[in-house]
Amino acid sequence: MTDTTGELKVTAASDIEVDRDELDASINQFVGPSGSYYTAAFHKIHEATGLLPNTFNIWAAVLGPLWSASRAIWGMFWGFLILEIIAWVQIGRGAWGDPGAEFVERAQGQQNRADEFMQRAAEATEASDVERFERLAENIGKAAQTNLDRAAAAQAEAFGIMLTGLLLLLAFKLVQGFYADRVYERQYSRWRIDPASTESGRSTRNTVLGIVLVAAIGPLIVYKFTVNASLAMLDAFPEQQASAMILGHSDTTLFATVANWMEARIDAAAIAGGDVFDGIVAGVRSVLDALTIALIGSPWPVVMLVICVTAWRAAGPRVAIFTAAALAYTALLGYWEIAMETVALVGAAVLLCVVIGIPLGIWFGKSMRAYKTAEPVLDLMQTLPAFVYLIPIIAFFGTGNPPGILATIIFGMPPVIRLTALGMRGVPESIKEAAVAFGASRWQLLKDVEIPLALPSIMTGVNQTILMCLSMVVIISLIGGGGLGKEILEALQYAAKGPGLLGGFAILFLAMVMDRIVQGAFRRADQD
Amino acid sequence: MSESVVKLTDVWKIFGDRAAEAMAAVKSEGIGKPEVLERFGCVVGVQSATFDVPRGEIFCIMGLSGSGKSTLVRHVNRLIEPTSGNIEILGQDVSAMSEAELRAVRATKIGMVFQHMALMPHRSVRDNVAYPLEIRKVSKAKRWAVSDHALELVNLVGYEDRLPKELSGGMQQRVGIARALASDPEILLMDEPFSALDPLIRMQLQDQFKALVAQLQKTTLFITHDLDEAIRIGHRIAIMKDGLIVQIGTPEEIVMNPADEYVREFVQGISKLKLVKAHSIMEPLDSYSGSLKGAPRADEGADLDQLIDLAVDTDKPVVITDSGKDIGVVTKPRLLRGIQGGKDD
Repeated sequence: MTDTTGELKVTAASDIEVDRDELDASINQFVGPSGSYYTAAFHKIHEATGLLPNTFNIWAAVLGPLWSASRAIWGMFWGFLILEIIAWVQIGRGAWGDPGAEFVERAQGQQNRADEFMQRAAEATEASDVERFERLAENIGKAAQTNLDRAAAAQAEAFGIMLTGLLLLLAFKLVQGFYADRVYERQYSRWRIDPASTESGRSTRNTVLGIVLVAAIGPLIVYKFTVNASLAMLDAFPEQQASAMILGHSDTTLFATVANWMEARIDAAAIAGGDVFDGIVAGVRSVLDALTIALIGSPWPVVMLVICVTAWRAAGPRVAIFTAAALAYTALLGYWEIAMETVALVGAAVLLCVVIGIPLGIWFGKSMRAYKTAEPVLDLMQTLPAFVYLIPIIAFFGTGNPPGILATIIFGMPPVIRLTALGMRGVPESIKEAAVAFGASRWQLLKDVEIPLALPSIMTGVNQTILMCLSMVVIISLIGGGGLGKEILEALQYAAKGPGLLGGFAILFLAMVMDRIVQGAFRRADQD
Repeated sequence: MSESVVKLTDVWKIFGDRAAEAMAAVKSEGIGKPEVLERFGCVVGVQSATFDVPRGEIFCIMGLSGSGKSTLVRHVNRLIEPTSGNIEILGQDVSAMSEAELRAVRATKIGMVFQHMALMPHRSVRDNVAYPLEIRKVSKAKRWAVSDHALELVNLVGYEDRLPKELSGGMQQRVGIARALASDPEILLMDEPFSALDPLIRMQLQDQFKALVAQLQKTTLFITHDLDEAIRIGHRIAIMKDGLIVQIGTPEEIVMNPADEYVREFVQGISKLKLVKAHSIMEPLDSYSGSLKGAPRADEGADLDQLIDLAVDTDKPVVITDSGKDIGVVTKPRLLRGIQGGKDD
């Protein structure tokens, strides 16, 4: 290490000469064909100090998107393909489109009606009728003339439109010509950093792909926007013909066939697994019943007192006062029983989420492969709109509170799984290693090190799960779930603003109380 | 010396999916580290490590980062499985142990201290120190007593109920040492324990640690990337480079006779005053032609520092004695060269 530093010669920044040989070799390697042009262009760009471009790439200007495609600059390709098509549409409208067609058509119709009135005037016997019809015909004829004038004006504008199109096209070409080398130089810089995933050189594949894209997109769009009565084929997807082609007959549509098939499958599965689904429902119901008895069966003063004291012990006097106020709100407005039903629903869902989710999370935290497999499922559980999976839930589990809890679990479980796994992975390797070095078994490692250190993350997950379950509780009223959600659904159906808002606030208060209590309970001495 | 406590024989560690193939190729063809990487995509962590640490010795393993020293020491408690070779602790083959036996050995025979302390943030200092005992299901009363005693050894009385984050870095590392000592193990593995600390604290801890180990008679494997530290603490030093042990010897041997250019470069900046002893620079008695009357005398074990003190007050050379008998002389030129690091005149 000493002999290399000894030889280093220090040169003042102003005296440093730019050595281009190595750079030129690298640029040549990047650009492939027409290397000498691009090395010269990149030199100029490298020497430029201002913002304005100092090179002009004639081929980029002439060929436009085809050039960027051949050089694999796809961002520039799509941008200027769209801009050039816009310019071409203007040119097309001016050149062969018929901008006055609409007015001419209208004028034609009016002229016809005027003629009709003239005819009736001619046929009329009474003088007053003749006069009336003639006047009508005259007025309509005037309107027709106005429209014809407008059509002529529009025709006269066509030249202007075409000119605008031409100017736009020229401007886009110039911009491409001036900026092509700069953009390409950027691509070169990226390629230097990551040669494996940045395309370089000029490949036949890219050129052909560019030509095909331009040929497929350009003419169709220009045709659609410049011709007045374009083909119906292009306006809407011909799904009737397509489904007839796929099915071989046109008695029914592809949609109906697939939908019927799925319905049959789901019904068959629901019947086949009936016992299993009934068992799951019974299990969920027993958890819910236990909670319901505790919350609604117990005398209301006891429940209120327990909740308030819990809030006080877990999160302090301020949260306790807020809790008391929220409970008073629900009780005074007559929501006490249904509010407690909602709490029981959320409680049962959260309990099941935690009991199932935390072990799964621990497993996913330890096994990367299991996590990779499960991640798409978790994403699906969170992104699939709730309305969509309510349908199979009805099919398999029927309606009422227990199926509602199952739907809530689907929506609410991913956060606790994810955050448990995240927490498990976040446990420092060094602490785990220390425990193992002192002879800890796998179970001791999990119990003494991994779970305690992952606990803050796990608790964040539980908290999120609680809030997500609460938001789902309104939606499950659609499949017969009870509680405050049902009140709100009824209010929604009759557009009853007052009851709806009061119920909404009741849910909001419940959510805030639960959130505060849970957060307070999980805030431990060693994590703030 | 006495019985061997930790004994490694031809230990190899090759990382990668094709480690077994690579190992076979190394054994049969004798290919080197770069070739293993090229042909099998495997990284050689440790190459043919062989050493033997007797009871009570502090054995330093010194090397730059990436030289495989941490990997090597993790073979002793089988945190890393060797690709080939044999590891014995107190006469027991570590590789042959079952899971349960291995855990028992880790819990009772080996204490380990880590560079980044690796204390459990949610447990008090006392519970951190007591954790090795908790693993062995020792009663709470007993493990608290043991833990308090261990904390006393590292001068942390009064911090038992603190959380680790309330302590400074140096104190945290003392907790780490107390934890390693808590189960009264025979072997201590120290993985760069003082590297993350500032120099003053580091020196203090080095001295405290050295005294503690001498008192408790623990056999210690001490990893460091700092040769000064190795020399301060170690009875013997192994120098590692690219997974290979380049030289093993006492600090004086390493400083006076570096095995190769690599070691020499390391040793260059080391002060020899306390390291080099009179017997290694003295010349035969008859090589000095002048009179030795009135010349100062020093034992052969005196270091250069002491010789300088004697030499400044006289024109005569220092006579070196072994149990009262004159055995050699150290002239001033010889002494000066000795300070330089044993260059010949």
